[in-house]
Amino acid sequence: MNPEPFLQLDRVIHEKGRLPIVSLLAASPELSFTEIRDTLKMTDGNLSVHLRTLQEAGYVALTKSFRERKPLTTCALTVAGKKAFENYIGLLERIVAEARKS
Amino acid sequence: MDSDWAKEHLQVIRTLMERAAVYRRALAPMMLAIGVMGCGAAILGLVLGIEAPRAFLGYWLLVAGVTVAVAFLLLRRQAIKDAEPIWSPPARRVMQAVAPALIAGFVVSLGIILRAGDAPLQNAVGTRRMALGWVPIGWVVLYGCAAHAAGFFMPRGIRLFGCTFIAGGCILFLAGVPETPSPWFGHGVMGVFFGIAHVAYGLYVSFTEKQNRAA
Repeated sequence: MNPEPFLQLDRVIHEKGRLPIVSLLAASPELSFTEIRDTLKMTDGNLSVHLRTLQEAGYVALTKSFRERKPLTTCALTVAGKKAFENYIGLLERIVAEARKS
Repeated sequence: MDSDWAKEHLQVIRTLMERAAVYRRALAPMMLAIGVMGCGAAILGLVLGIEAPRAFLGYWLLVAGVTVAVAFLLLRRQAIKDAEPIWSPPARRVMQAVAPALIAGFVVSLGIILRAGDAPLQNAVGTRRMALGWVPIGWVVLYGCAAHAAGFFMPRGIRLFGCTFIAGGCILFLAGVPETPSPWFGHGVMGVFFGIAHVAYGLYVSFTEKQNRAA
């Protein structure tokens, strides 16, 4: 089997903690920090670390605001994040297709 | 190199994206429950002879309230079973989509109830025609709009279901209501759309879900 697609997988997305975050954000225009945390049952600290990594890679944009006087952090995929996720899925599909062929 | 992990990753992505984007909780049991209650309420309304404008509207608003409560309990039960929050992002989006049409229907009905309660109007033909004829048809159209809007965040033909209601209501609007509508007309419209149609759709969803699980 050709190992090339595997080597091309984006390491920022291809991580146990970050892949679910990107998957959720890819299906929704934006989600709040608490929505992601509750859906994925992650701790605040863990989610913060992964979001920071995604933000530093330019894949996620964080917006801080207030709702009913409480701080609200909203997360959304950036254009680069959407493209990286599409590429990631494309590579996974390629790996599965090549495995079927061989 | 083993590709099973890639398949698993794709499955995880699919599941999470569906969880974030599509609301699919308890659709079949909810539709069946609404349908059965709609049929039962229509029959009960006829048996009890509920035909005064205010009584008719109040009765069906009460039925709607009870139905919403039952639907909520069904959703809550499945959310607990799946160990998921009931107020998930997709649930919120569905609520935001259906709220305008349902609130408009409720407020308009409430306004008519308040005015139809005036004694001289209780038996006036115009008021009776409004309450037992035009209002149920308006409910059908507004409910269809709500279902159609929810369909953007729900699977299994909810949008088509909503379109059917809108089309059915519009046809009835164009056909017009009888000069002196009998309770059969009002309760009949409610029974057909909110009873039989929901049971049929609930059975369809239930059947297709079973087929998908078997596949």
